[in-house]
Formats: sequence, C-alpha cells, structure tokens
Amino acid sequence: MLPKFDVLTDEQINKIHKNSLKILQEIGIEFSYDPAIEVFKKHGQRVEGHRVFLDPDFVEEMVEKAPAQFTLHARNPEHNLICGGENIIYMPGYGAPFVYDADGGKRDATMADYDNFVKLAGASKNMHMTGGTVVEPTDVEDEIRHLKMAYSHIINSDKCFMGSSSGYEQAMDSIKLTAVLHGGMDVIKEKPALICLVNSVTPLKYDDRMLGGLMAYAETGQPMVIASLVMAGSTGPATMAGALSLQNAEVLAGITLTQCINPGTPVVYGSTSAVTDMSTGSLSIGNPENALFTSASAQFSRFYGVPCRGGGGLTDAKTVDAQAGYESMMVLFAASTTGVNFVLHTAGILQYYMAMSYEKFMVDDEIAGMVLRYLKGFDCDSDEKMAYDVIEKVGPGGHFLTQKHTRKNFKTEFFRPALSDRQSFDGWSKDSIDTNQRAKLKWQEVLASYTPPELDPAVKEKVEAFIEKRSKELLK
Amino acid sequence: MNPIFEEIKDAIVDGDEDLAIELAEKVVAEKIDPVQAVQLGFIKGIEEVGAAWTSGEAFLPDVMMAADAMKAGMDVLEEVLAAGEGEGAYEDKGKIVLGTVEGDIHDIGKNIVGALLTSAGFKVYDIGIDQKAEDFVAKADEVGAKIIAASSLLTTTMKSQKVLVEYLDAQNLRSKYKIIIGGGPTSAKWGEDIGADGWAETADEAVELCKQLM
Ligand code: B12
Repeated sequence: MLPKFDVLTDEQINKIHKNSLKILQEIGIEFSYDPAIEVFKKHGQRVEGHRVFLDPDFVEEMVEKAPAQFTLHARNPEHNLICGGENIIYMPGYGAPFVYDADGGKRDATMADYDNFVKLAGASKNMHMTGGTVVEPTDVEDEIRHLKMAYSHIINSDKCFMGSSSGYEQAMDSIKLTAVLHGGMDVIKEKPALICLVNSVTPLKYDDRMLGGLMAYAETGQPMVIASLVMAGSTGPATMAGALSLQNAEVLAGITLTQCINPGTPVVYGSTSAVTDMSTGSLSIGNPENALFTSASAQFSRFYGVPCRGGGGLTDAKTVDAQAGYESMMVLFAASTTGVNFVLHTAGILQYYMAMSYEKFMVDDEIAGMVLRYLKGFDCDSDEKMAYDVIEKVGPGGHFLTQKHTRKNFKTEFFRPALSDRQSFDGWSKDSIDTNQRAKLKWQEVLASYTPPELDPAVKEKVEAFIEKRSKELLK
Repeated sequence: MNPIFEEIKDAIVDGDEDLAIELAEKVVAEKIDPVQAVQLGFIKGIEEVGAAWTSGEAFLPDVMMAADAMKAGMDVLEEVLAAGEGEGAYEDKGKIVLGTVEGDIHDIGKNIVGALLTSAGFKVYDIGIDQKAEDFVAKADEVGAKIIAASSLLTTTMKSQKVLVEYLDAQNLRSKYKIIIGGGPTSAKWGEDIGADGWAETADEAVELCKQLM
C-alpha cells in the first residue's frame, strides 16, 4: 500500500480541532430527539432545551473509545471486510431518486433498478460490498421499502450491505433481519454485520429519525457512519477552514453520542462536504474543494483514530461524458490516495446524488479498478520482481515479449481495462462507439451472465417469513 | 428627486437590511411619499440586482440579501401604503404563500425561489419547513394570496404535495388558488398527475410560471 499524503499540517489540524471543540462548547448543537438529550444529561453535559453544550475534554475522551478498525461480516466469510487501517471499501451510490439512461432520458428509479445495481455490485471485483439504498425504489410503498431493499441485498449477493437508519423502528427491522440471516442477535452483536449512514442536519443539528436510527445501531453494537454534508456557502461558511470546522464539530458530536450509549461501538467518521454553486444554489460535488474536504476528513480520522468515509465517483454531470469521467476520477482518486476507508457512492452517481446511471456505474467501476491498482504501488520484495536476470538475459537491444518472465508477470502487474478502448484507430472505427455506448453494452452483458450466489433455502425461508410478517404489520 | 430614494436603491443593491429598515422608517417619520420610495427606491434597486442576476454578474448572496432587505423595508412601509398614502398607488405583482411540505426540512431551494419571486415584484409569505396542507391554506386565506407554492425534496414527502391539492378539493377551495410545486425529485409529470397548476425545475422558471399564472 502507498503511504497516504496529508493536505493539512499538524498546526492546521490543531487549529481546526480547537475551532470545532469551541463550536460544540460555546454555540452548542441541537439534538431534537429526547432520548438523546437524556443520554447527554446523564453524562453531565450542559443542556438547554434541545441544545447540548459539550465539554471539550469529554468529547475527546468519548471519541477515544471508538475503535480504530472493525470487521464487517458478510454471509459469505470470504467477503468479510476490515474497515479501517490501510483498507479501502468500495460500493455503489446511495439514495438517488432517478435513473438517467444512456440516451439522455430521465425516469423514476424502481425496485427492478435496485436489484440490477445490487447485482452489478455483486458481480464486480472492484465493489467490495453492495452498498445500501442503491436507488430509491419509488414503486414500493415507503412503509416497507427498507425491507424490500434489504431482501434484494440478501438474495442477489453474498457481500456486506447497509441497513436503514430512518428512525428507530425501521433501523431495528433491518438489524433483526440481518440477525435472521446470520443466525441470531447475539451472533451479530459479536460479529457486526450491518452498517448504516447517519447524517447530521447541517448546520449543527441532528433530527429525530436519524437519532432513532443511531440509537438502534449503537444499542445492538452495529457499526455506523456518522456523516456531515456541509454545503459551503449555503449550509456552512464559504471558507474551507470554516466549513471543515463545522463538519468536524458535527461528526464529533455524533460520535460522542454513540460512545455514550455503547462505548466501543464501531463508528466511521463521515464527510460529504462540498460547495454550493453560487449561481443556482445547487450542491456541487465534482470539484477540487470536495476532494480537499474528503482528504482532510481522512486525515482527521487518522488524528482521532477512527475509520473514514468520504468521496466517491462524484460528479455534477447529467450524462456519461468527459465531465463525468474527469470529476469522478478526481474525487475517487483523492479519497483513495489520502486514506478514506469506506467509499459510499463509488459507482453510478450523476448530478450531485440526484441520479444513478448504469453506464456511469460501469465507468466508475473501471475507475475503481484503476485506482485500486494504483494503490498497490510497486512490489520490490523479490528478485523475480526486480527482474535483474531477465534484463541481463535480453541484454541491450532485445525485447521482452517472448520471455517467460513476461508471460508470468504481466497479468498481475498490469491493470487490464474492462471498458477503456486501447485499439488502433481502424480497430476502434469499425464500431466507433464512445464510452457511454460501450458501457451500455457492458452492463447488459454483466447482468445477463450474473448468477446470484445461492442462499441456504432454510435461511431464505426464515428471511422471507420475517419480511412477510413485518410487511403485514406495517401496511395495516 | 428626494436623495433618500437613491439611498434606498443603494441599500437594496448592497443587500443592507438594517439600512433599508432605517431608511423606510425615515420615509414614514418625515412623511415622504411612500409610493415614490417604493418605485424609485426599493423596486429600482431590486430591478438592478435582478438584471445583474440575469446577465450572470450577480450571485445568490447578492439576490437573496437584496430580497431580504427589500422585504424588511417594505414591511415598514406596509401600513402607510395600505392607508393609501402617496401619489398614485403601489401594488405588488401578486401574493404567494411558499413553504416546504410536511415531513421535509430541506429549505435552500425554497429560499432561493422566495428570493427570486420577491425580486420579481411578488409579495412572498414564506411559512417555513415541515408545513401541513392546512397551514398553507390558512396563510393563503389570511393574506389573500393567489398562488400557493410547495417545495418537496424527498420522494417520500412528494405525496404531501398531492395531499395539499386534495385538501383544497375537499374544502371546495380548489378554484380559489393556483398551486405550484417544485423541488429536486418532482417533475412536470408529477405536477400533472396530482393536478397542480404548474411545476418548475429552477427558481428562474418558477418566476416565469408565477408571471403566467397571475
Ligand atoms: C442539503 C441536503 C440536505 C440537508 C438540507 C439542509 C437544508 N437546510 O435544506 C440535510 C442534511 C438536512 C438533508 C437531510 C436529509 N436528506 Co437531503 N439532501 C440535500 C442535498 C444534498 C441538496 C439539496 C439542496 O439544497 N439543493 C439545492 C437547491 C437549490 O436545489 P432544490 O432544492 O432542488 O431547489 C431548486 C429547484 O428544485 C426549484 N424548487 C425548489 N423548491 C421549489 C418549489 C416550487 C414551488 C418551485 C416552483 C420550484 C422549486 O428551485 C430551486 C432553485 O433552482 C440533496 C441532493 C441534491 N443534490 O439535491 C439531498 C437529498 C434531497 N436528501 C436526501 C435524503 C434521503 C435526506 C435524508 C432523508 C437523510 C439523508 N440520507 O441525508 C434527510 C431528510 C431530512 C428531512 N426530513 O427532510 C435524498 C433524497 C432521496 C429521495 N428519496 O428523494 C437526496 C436526493 C440525497 C441523496 N441522493 O441521498 N439533506
């Protein structure tokens, strides 16, 4: 693994850290959920109404309790993931309500799209897990969406996935369902198997639904990402240092709460902070500022000793064009080379989280493969790798194409593109199709040939029974 | 021309809310013609900002701060204007009740729509986030608004826009108001499906839509 580079000096880290603690101590932060307020009171923190003023030492002490890394368990242990340290976890985009087509069309996302994206992630060697809310399946009643989504992850792949965090009840449903899959609550308490996303409401608030979710995951010892999305210029200050201080304050407050509820609960420091487009007010994510926020967050996570979530194949483009490619590469590359561990939104996102695209998914999958190869760096560990002998053998003026050493090594040393075109002009011009069209052919091919890994019929039956029972109760 | 009008215009262009209030209070106290203060001061200023916005020279903080300053100053003048003081009469381009629907707390887009509508001469009553159908209608009734504008950013709260239309139907009030909707996940089709009078994708388009509907 390559050494991670820093974007902040130690002095800058300290200044921002102090600024965040001052925000929490003097301005305070609002938690709308009464049970959370009770927790802070019990821990001796000053509370006025729903606003909590956190003592700096207390925050540092609590954040200290969070583990530096943890293992997330998959139904197939081969896909267990270590979150933290040098590891990096890629997965599809999260939460988009629309799907954009290769030809520029826009439509509401459906459950069929959901299944497809889970399958594409299941099939990809670059996606380590199948993510969560890979699109909003707008054709499913909201009451039971969380169950249907979890089911899709369970049957279409054997990789790790994410659960609902929308309120205590829904969160508990997804945790219990995961327990059914893994053989009981005590099993997943021991071996965490579900992770969720908890977002602050910038500036300086956490709402009921998210806090309900947070309590459920903390109580059952399941990991969660505590994230803040500061839109610098609108929901946060227009200065980078100010926005980062605000984000940092919010995430620290969230982590503090998790550790009060259940010390040692695995948490991930999350950031999706980016900037506001000052002409339209829209969020803008495919830019150097987002890359900087992401890298700074990775550095802060190292500073606090917790894993980091941030970045992704992020773009403001509406179709798979050059902009989609260069923006996504910038943000994913920055995230990956500066130490982010958990990359929600690695593949598929278009237009600042508003849409998923199948073609974009394939492009991002290719980018992910390239970045993963880059991260492996150079292998200098053996004589074989140093290749002195073969250089000697070929000598001045020869070539290496017919050497055994070449045949043996190129497959593991070189990244092999799945999507990029490396043909000659004539070769390419036979079909002369661009990346967007190639990606379309590619995902159709992958879906057509994908067979989901089998799920033990007895377990499947239990999972389905749970969902059926809960659905009946919820739709009553 | 009274030099205060120029000062008001500049206060609006600078987005200086405090100064706009101060100057409006001076207009009232010194019995300066309020209609002229509006036309040669407030509106001149907001028009200038609007033009700079259209040409891409002004950015959101410019327009939104100008709209806030305009609103604050106009509130001060409201009483004297309503009393019919001054030469001729000042009338806004129409009253609009704006809010984010129940269950939804996203408000950046709504605020931008409000600011641009204000700068286009509409009188906007922003009732805030997480608002029930009843709240929209009660406000519209109270201020005599013609348009009700509802924002939703979540697929799960879009149905509150439908509830709003249904509520008006049920109260036999549907023909009294024009309902317009917007927000990230909404679409022209959704607007048609629920029987709204209009949908707009951006704040600029929302202004055009309101001009058509008034
Ligand atoms: C910022 C943001 C937040 C902030 C909101 C802060 C605030 N003060 O508003 C916070 C962090 C609080 C938040 C919370 C949540 N959010 Co949010 N959020 C966003 C984000 C990133 C930007 C929204 C925004 O302000 N855009 C900029 C403005 C200018 O655009 P706009 O609102 O669309 O408005 C324009 C037009 O639509 C139009 N318009 C708007 N309103 C109206 C009204 C009328 C009448 C008209 C005519 C036009 C019109 O004019 C505006 C200007 O051009 C979006 C993603 C995105 N890119 O949009 C997600 C997004 C909307 N959120 C999402 C979600 C899921 C949530 C949460 C449930 C939790 C979560 N996972 O983050 C909570 C829900 C809270 C709640 N109960 O409402 C999803 C929604 C998916 C879905 N199912 O629909 C999105 C799409 C992100 C994603 N992919 O996951 N969010």
